[in-house]
Amino acid sequence: MALLELKNVHSYYGNIHALKGISLTVDKGEIVTLIGSNGAGKSTTLRTISGILPPRVGQITLAGARIDQVPAHKVVELGVLQSPEGRRIFPRLTVRENLEMGAFTRKDKAGIAEDVERVFGLFPRLRERTVQKGGTLSGGEQQMLAIGRALMGRPTVLLLDEPSMGLAPVLVEQIFSIIKDINATGTTILLVEQNALMALSIAHRGYVLQTGEIVLQDSASNLQSNEMVQKAYLGIE
Amino acid sequence: MSRAINIGVWAGVFGVFIIVLFGGQSVLAAGLICGLLAGLLAGARTEGETMQAGVRDGLISGAVAGVILIVSNILRNTFITTLVGQNLPSTGEVLSFGIAGAAISMVLGAALGAAHFLPGRRSSYATWAILGLVILIYPFLDYSIQLGWLGIVITGLIFILLALGLNIVVGYAGLLDLGYAAFFAIGAYTAAFLSSSYIGDQLNFANPRVSFWLVIFIAAAMAGLFGLILGAPTLPLRGDYLAIVTLGFGEIVPIVFRNLDTFGITIFGHEFIKTFNLTGGELGISPIDPPKLPGLNFADRSDQRPWYFLLVLIILFSIFLINRLRGSRLGRAWMAMREDELAASSMGINIVRTKLLAFAMGASFSGFGGAYFGAFVGGAFPSSFDFSVSVIVLCMVILGGLGNIPGVIVGGLIIELSDRLFLPQITLLLQSIAQHNANNPSLSGLQRFDPTLYRTGLFGLVLVLMMQLRPEGLLPNARRKLELHADQASPGEAAQSQTDLYDVETEAASS
Repeated sequence: MALLELKNVHSYYGNIHALKGISLTVDKGEIVTLIGSNGAGKSTTLRTISGILPPRVGQITLAGARIDQVPAHKVVELGVLQSPEGRRIFPRLTVRENLEMGAFTRKDKAGIAEDVERVFGLFPRLRERTVQKGGTLSGGEQQMLAIGRALMGRPTVLLLDEPSMGLAPVLVEQIFSIIKDINATGTTILLVEQNALMALSIAHRGYVLQTGEIVLQDSASNLQSNEMVQKAYLGIE
Repeated sequence: MSRAINIGVWAGVFGVFIIVLFGGQSVLAAGLICGLLAGLLAGARTEGETMQAGVRDGLISGAVAGVILIVSNILRNTFITTLVGQNLPSTGEVLSFGIAGAAISMVLGAALGAAHFLPGRRSSYATWAILGLVILIYPFLDYSIQLGWLGIVITGLIFILLALGLNIVVGYAGLLDLGYAAFFAIGAYTAAFLSSSYIGDQLNFANPRVSFWLVIFIAAAMAGLFGLILGAPTLPLRGDYLAIVTLGFGEIVPIVFRNLDTFGITIFGHEFIKTFNLTGGELGISPIDPPKLPGLNFADRSDQRPWYFLLVLIILFSIFLINRLRGSRLGRAWMAMREDELAASSMGINIVRTKLLAFAMGASFSGFGGAYFGAFVGGAFPSSFDFSVSVIVLCMVILGGLGNIPGVIVGGLIIELSDRLFLPQITLLLQSIAQHNANNPSLSGLQRFDPTLYRTGLFGLVLVLMMQLRPEGLLPNARRKLELHADQASPGEAAQSQTDLYDVETEAASS
């Protein structure tokens, strides 16, 4: 059974039909990527899963239990954590306070302290900036903080929204290799990316999204060699 | 050394202001205030590292201020006292009170300077102990030298209680509330309905009079409930839109109280509730029962010391409570919500609950203050709760330093005392100069000059200047200060934070 499953999900922004029947599965331990151009509905899919934008039609299940009508803050308690688009860190809280905010739903102080150390282990740059305010970090550091903050909730499924956005190529490689490390320790990841090349290089499987519909799904390596994907998303003629 | 003298001069200027305005034995109160200012500032600014340095600087500042006090007391009595028609005290009295004022200033200055350099936590304990002592002594001093400030100080403290509550809503949760006076009114009217004979008088029965000690909590709960009622429709709103809705609520409530003087329900000609005067209309409801406590007399309006001490206790307890709240899970949820609502909800924070609790908690402080205010002035009148109250309380919060409790208290004291004590006293002084010099045309013209009429203008001016010169407030929390004055921080750090902020912004714009 899939850990996370979407069946025929339709979402709307007011009258705008943003997702037109999305069905996808994410198995335990996988990295699954959603690729597509601007406005294809990638971020909307994540917002729908995390309960910020509840679907009007369709089912979302986490380990078999329905979560499509669960409010956003409860979805977090069930172990689905999101590193939102545009990072959305708390600009006036320090790096440490940001991380602790990620563990808001938890009450085990020792475990939280342990996880802060774990995040600092993954992102040594953040350790150097412990008492610096989130808003004064560079873009790359903010992205690290956003991912670290989501990890603080001990996710069973981690939703990453455009972790490469606005970052220098060197940083993008660094971030993606860390995402791979996070996955290797057992965290299931659903990754939304415009940078299809990078996303497919670390993912197990992928879905291609176009104007709110899934047009293609396959293993990451097959997608990489697919002619249509190469043309449209990888920039290979 | 020169810094200590500087501080002393500044503190002394404050003292001169008080002595000139009030005369008589007010030099003692001026000594108290100068001593506090001199000691606290000298302690914080001293260049030395040892306790001796602290004592020395505090003592010098206090002494400088003291000398200014003695001199200005002599000058005040030589030139102004007869001019305004007050009784001229003997030279010995002028000198001895001047010296006593100076002594108070020196002792306080030295003590606070010393307290600053005690090791570790004992420093702040000692400072608070000295401040506590001043708070304790003040009403007795006021009473014995007939200063007559106490009633105004109590009203000021009630407003500080309101400001502390509003600070939860605006400072911690980041929700701009322009209708805060509504909850103040709800608290006062709750007290009026429950602990006066008014309702019974209107409907011809002897209504039970609920004790003050119960009423203040019922009033807080009522206001909290209305906080929820206001909060619910504003849930999806942010920023400007929220401010407009709260503004509307703040207007509605006093108008409702004003117009419920003909209250009744008649449906299809059947009178369910006979029309009667529910709120007393413009005249309001009075008298409200004062609190009863064995050994203390709250009913004697000429001695308001019990009211003062009770209020000081309430405020201390509120500060304790608010401090605990801020560090709690709820406090952290408020902080996250203020920073970014969407991110907060993706951290597992229940935004609906967090927002409503902020409104309810803020409102219940206001309701509590309202009930106390009603009992203190002995009535609830719709004119005491108009829009200007909301604005003044908001200004206290911002002037003092958003989110910082000592700042809110200092801001509140300054605004309330200038508005209700100093400005009216200036007017009184000018009027009596004119009256006693009716034959002097250049002085009798003062009769027509009334500074209290300029209060909103002056108030506005202060706000404009504050926002230009010190937008972080008088006593800001360290976080905000750093944000607003990045250019004055250490050059390296400032450059760093500025380039980083630039980096973030350009990236956000390009994405």
